[in-house]
Amino acid sequence: MICVIAMVVFGILGIFSVRYRTIAKESFECVFKRITFRPCTTGLDERLKGQITGRLMKKSPKVAAFTYKHFEVFSWFFLILLIGSLIYSGIGAYNLIAHGNCNGPDSDDICIFNPATYPEDVDCECTIDGDCTCPEGECTCLDGQCVP
Amino acid sequence: MNFDKIRQDFPILNKVTYLDSACMSLKPIQVIDKINEYYKEYPGCGGRGMHSISKKVDEEVLNARKEIQKLLNIKKEDQIVFSKNTTESLNLVYNGLKINGGIITTDKEHNSNLVPVIRLCKKNGLKHTTIGSKDGIFDLEEFKEKMNRDVKLVSMVHTSNLDGSTIPAKEIIKIAHENGALTMLDGAQSAPHKEIDLKKLDVDLFACSGHKMLGPTGIGMLYGKEEILDKMEQFILGGETVTNSTYNSYEIEKVPNRFEAGLQHYSGIIGFGEACRYLRKVGMDNIVKQELKVNQIIDDGLRNIEGVSILGPEDVGLRPGITSFNYKNKDVHQIALLLDHSKKIMMRSGQHCVHSWFNKHNIKGSVRASLYLYNNEEDANKLVDGFKQVTKILG
Repeated sequence: MICVIAMVVFGILGIFSVRYRTIAKESFECVFKRITFRPCTTGLDERLKGQITGRLMKKSPKVAAFTYKHFEVFSWFFLILLIGSLIYSGIGAYNLIAHGNCNGPDSDDICIFNPATYPEDVDCECTIDGDCTCPEGECTCLDGQCVP
Repeated sequence: MNFDKIRQDFPILNKVTYLDSACMSLKPIQVIDKINEYYKEYPGCGGRGMHSISKKVDEEVLNARKEIQKLLNIKKEDQIVFSKNTTESLNLVYNGLKINGGIITTDKEHNSNLVPVIRLCKKNGLKHTTIGSKDGIFDLEEFKEKMNRDVKLVSMVHTSNLDGSTIPAKEIIKIAHENGALTMLDGAQSAPHKEIDLKKLDVDLFACSGHKMLGPTGIGMLYGKEEILDKMEQFILGGETVTNSTYNSYEIEKVPNRFEAGLQHYSGIIGFGEACRYLRKVGMDNIVKQELKVNQIIDDGLRNIEGVSILGPEDVGLRPGITSFNYKNKDVHQIALLLDHSKKIMMRSGQHCVHSWFNKHNIKGSVRASLYLYNNEEDANKLVDGFKQVTKILG
């Protein structure tokens, strides 16, 4: 399953670098074989397993042994996380296109692609008494700073 | 011999533990400087020009031939034909020599000496016989049984890259000659690691590579007895292989030029010569002793680990430069990867281009520690300790 993650990650990195394009191609080959119920023959999954575990061995042999033993489980876990984040990203992209806000039609939450949702700068300061110099209700004084 | 001082000639050893010399040896700074000298000071054509740079190249190429001649104790430097590597040298023979009879090889041939033989035998309807091993040691009795006057070429790997074992070449050559067969040795793994005396050995053809004996990549050589090289046809024709040509004929050059077509890899040849000089300075006997000392530690250490099986002869003295092993049928590439990424230990894993042997024994592959003069006891201990940690990961 690590190949699916590798395909997505290296596929994106491959846009910018030839180095990653080769790995992306390899991982695509591996994924294609897996979805057609054939074993992955590129060895990429095993190579990634060895590299990741080897690096972990330097920090903690116990963690490395655990990771090595349950590598497929970790791969599935990260794959589910990846799919989850891709779904949420997709929903966000749809909302942005359809409603101009990543968070949906009626949301006031921040969307990084839409500057209109950014909070306006608050032009006020905390007083010695812990109050704000701005009109009441517009901001509060927290840890010495005025926040909306 | 101060091997700690020798290690200083290989700066990369400060960063990694290098145990893959059977594939590619490291290069000492002296060899690198000599290669650079060609590009900086006389980067011209050899064998063609009259100007001083061209003459300097000729002089350095001749010096390189003489260095190789001294290292391998060859009668004349003209018996050395430069090639790309051992594989090309062997293919030159299989394509240039008329073989009208059977060919005998060992069961541990590298693909470079097996595949051309298979093709040649299939193409010309020749018989190919393979001699097996007993406990990893070449079966001389089987060879004696199978050797007869129908065999025209005995072509064998001198030292195996699979397990480091060496065949009794002198006896084999004597028996082959008594039966009227020619002999050829693939010396890719023997020439870098032991004293080779081609005069005493009386072998007809011998091939080796520069990159496995401290030299640069892309350069190798074929030694041949004069009468055999004279009989051989050219594999490639072109510049420098002829003395004259008309629109419909050509006059062929003398040996070795007739086999060295086109512009040569001069920096490689010069670097190869320097590598041979370096090896002679250290002494081949010293190299064997050092490798054996280090390999003994690896062998002892690995044998103490449960589940490890070492390929080849049990006696480490019979395979001084190589320890090839398996662990509980675990994936050999994983072992190599874990050692690399956790301990920076560089080792080869897989079937080492000897697929035929692994297929016959139904073994997936092995991890191979191959040593050279720059390896020391510290490297051996690092491998043993590192591998112990890896076994804990693999379970």
